[in-house]
Amino acid sequence: MVSAALESAQTVVERTIQRNLKGLGYLASPAPVLGTSTKDVIVSRGPMRLYHYHPLVDEVYRVPVLLVMATTNRGYIFDMVPGQSMVEFLLLRGYDVFMLDWEAPRPEDRGLAMKDYVEDFLGGAIAEVQRTTGEPDVSLVGYCMGGVLSTLWSGLNHAKGPKNLAVFTTPADFRQMTLFRAWSDPRYFDVDRLVDTLGMAPADMLLTAFDMLRPAGRASANFALLDNLWNDDFVKAHRMFDRWSNDMLPLAGEYFRETVKQLTWENRLLEGTMKIGGRPVELDRISCPFLHVTAEHDHIVTTEASAPLIGLIGSTDKEQVVLKGGHVSLIAGPNAVKRMWPKLDSWLGAKSV
Amino acid sequence: MSDSPNLDPFALARTWMAQWEKLVNEHGTEMLAKPEAAQAMQAMSGAAIQAQAASNEATGRMLAAANLPSRADFEALGTRLANVEASLSRIEALLRAQSPEAAPSRPAVRRTRKPPE
Repeated sequence: MVSAALESAQTVVERTIQRNLKGLGYLASPAPVLGTSTKDVIVSRGPMRLYHYHPLVDEVYRVPVLLVMATTNRGYIFDMVPGQSMVEFLLLRGYDVFMLDWEAPRPEDRGLAMKDYVEDFLGGAIAEVQRTTGEPDVSLVGYCMGGVLSTLWSGLNHAKGPKNLAVFTTPADFRQMTLFRAWSDPRYFDVDRLVDTLGMAPADMLLTAFDMLRPAGRASANFALLDNLWNDDFVKAHRMFDRWSNDMLPLAGEYFRETVKQLTWENRLLEGTMKIGGRPVELDRISCPFLHVTAEHDHIVTTEASAPLIGLIGSTDKEQVVLKGGHVSLIAGPNAVKRMWPKLDSWLGAKSV
Repeated sequence: MSDSPNLDPFALARTWMAQWEKLVNEHGTEMLAKPEAAQAMQAMSGAAIQAQAASNEATGRMLAAANLPSRADFEALGTRLANVEASLSRIEALLRAQSPEAAPSRPAVRRTRKPPE
């Protein structure tokens, strides 16, 4: 018992010393470099960026994969660092990988609407992938709002459709996003005044809203960092995710206005009344293979909000999987490496020849 | 006999923090979901937007009086530049389509991969 107590005391002292030493290093060190897989930016237009990652193998699947990022965040969550990059994982598994990523819209982009994001940016990206690869088929893989955009495009273009459609943590029933819905209650939230005055939904407003979904989250994360300063792996992971979650993008005004009115207030995706550019979005006529991966502990897009999506899709080959993890840990970090990435690969590989 | 004593000074704080986090998240979100909270939040952000609008207007007048370009002028310029960029992109795409050999050459990959058995 004495030796165990001594051992425990030694660990505590060592960790305390390491905390102090590494705490100083933490404060002095630069932000981590993320998103470093080699790529070409093949389209750069307005807030849209289309990347083509350099293949890491000589023989790839016939069907290229287009990752569609959520419009509020940066796409490097898919490409954190070597060994923790979904892009790198897919490249090594033999996929030809493209990503539709976003930059902050500029003041002159305030008029960009849902139609621009779905038809022009996503539709344009698909056409560019087809042109670059010479392949008529493309698989779409969308995350969160990127999943909504991918689903909307597929519902508009079901005749030519994507070859495969996989989405992660994608909301369908916006009534079930109870806090967002309460905060945007039309009795109190004048979205027109916000957009007409500022032209954008500011990034700090969106960041505050996301933070308030878990009011103690930030304080708790900072405490965990202090507690684990001795642990290099923990600190590295914390810095990567902290940098990404704070790196939020503003939203173009018109796009934000339509998202609030058509999706949050009128719940058009679930009601089947969504139209883009006057054309109906017909989810029930989507016939390509469909996969929806959701997270068991997602506090942003709750299971109640995401679960109805699969029922709206017309495909016969469709699957919904609930994996352990939260909204972000589903797609990046050790949990994703172990669970979601292999699931996506096993589902997509056979459908990509 | 009990196990060796826990000498970690963070152990107590860890337990306390976990309880605090649970409590704040549960009650905080419950409170924030109430209409009164939404009303208060939107009243505050409404006031901030109003202040911003008034400041934009006053700044615009000052700039006009000093014969300087306003934000709206710069935005208009930005829009014109974006249109020029879009036209250039279209021209680039047309040129690329007409001369595919001019495309950047990277070793071609075979698109014949099959999933493992």
